[in-house]
Amino acid sequence: MATDTMIESDLDISQLVDKPWVTIVWDDPVNLMSYVTFVFIKLFGFTQERAHELMMQVHNEGRAAVSTGSREEMERDVQRLHEHGLWATLQRDDKF
Amino acid sequence: MSAFSREEGIYSLDLTLDEAHILINLVEQLLELLGEGDFNHHYDESDPFAQLMAQLKAAPEEVVVPEDPVLLRLLPNAYADPEAAADFRRYTEPTLRGKKKRTLAQVRAALEIIVDEDRAGVVDDLDSEVWLMAINDLRLALSVRLEIKPESFDLFEALPDEDPQKAIYAVYFWLGWLQESLLNLLAQG
Repeated sequence: MATDTMIESDLDISQLVDKPWVTIVWDDPVNLMSYVTFVFIKLFGFTQERAHELMMQVHNEGRAAVSTGSREEMERDVQRLHEHGLWATLQRDDKF
Repeated sequence: MSAFSREEGIYSLDLTLDEAHILINLVEQLLELLGEGDFNHHYDESDPFAQLMAQLKAAPEEVVVPEDPVLLRLLPNAYADPEAAADFRRYTEPTLRGKKKRTLAQVRAALEIIVDEDRAGVVDDLDSEVWLMAINDLRLALSVRLEIKPESFDLFEALPDEDPQKAIYAVYFWLGWLQESLLNLLAQG
């Protein structure tokens, strides 16, 4: 019994720890729509349709989540987006 | 107006001397702002030893949020939380800054050939993605100085022709047009 409880509690903790992070791209009035779409395809390997959809979400809603994963992975994505001049931040998924 | 072209996979840009001068001046100003003037260039920046030296020069604790709004736009915070943003910046900003500088320096080297010969010319066999990123950074830098908003096109159109801001906006607009011409080629695969 005691062992079972331990395992269950371990699982809960690991779910908390693995709670994914998310990379957000924010709208700006400068980056061309075609450029943002190009960068999404280049960095994330999206199809043209998916990249266009996310670009439109950034444009219309002011922001879009473009990737999820571990904190380290999202930091790398944000860095690559900054290299390309897109305005990006990362945060815990539950705050988005 | 000049635009990018592509033939058999080779990208080139045909520029008037005036256009080449405008571009190289903007590139050099941005390089200066990014801090290229901090050290003497008697070595190759891509040399791993030079990169190590540059990192040592900017000790991590000296990396702070830039005061210049152009730099803050090019090297933005990665987190909304100031403490997490500062921490991330300390370890990543020198790399980001270095990449932007190398991209701009590549464009400068290509433009120098035209400007030094003092005549219109073609930038041949250019790295399309390097130019795409460099032009984008130039547009971002100008947009901060011009305080670009969605309605800026109409606002600047309405300015009298002698207003210097209108001339700067014209360059910003031209860069957007130039970038779009390159994106059109890249989208064709």
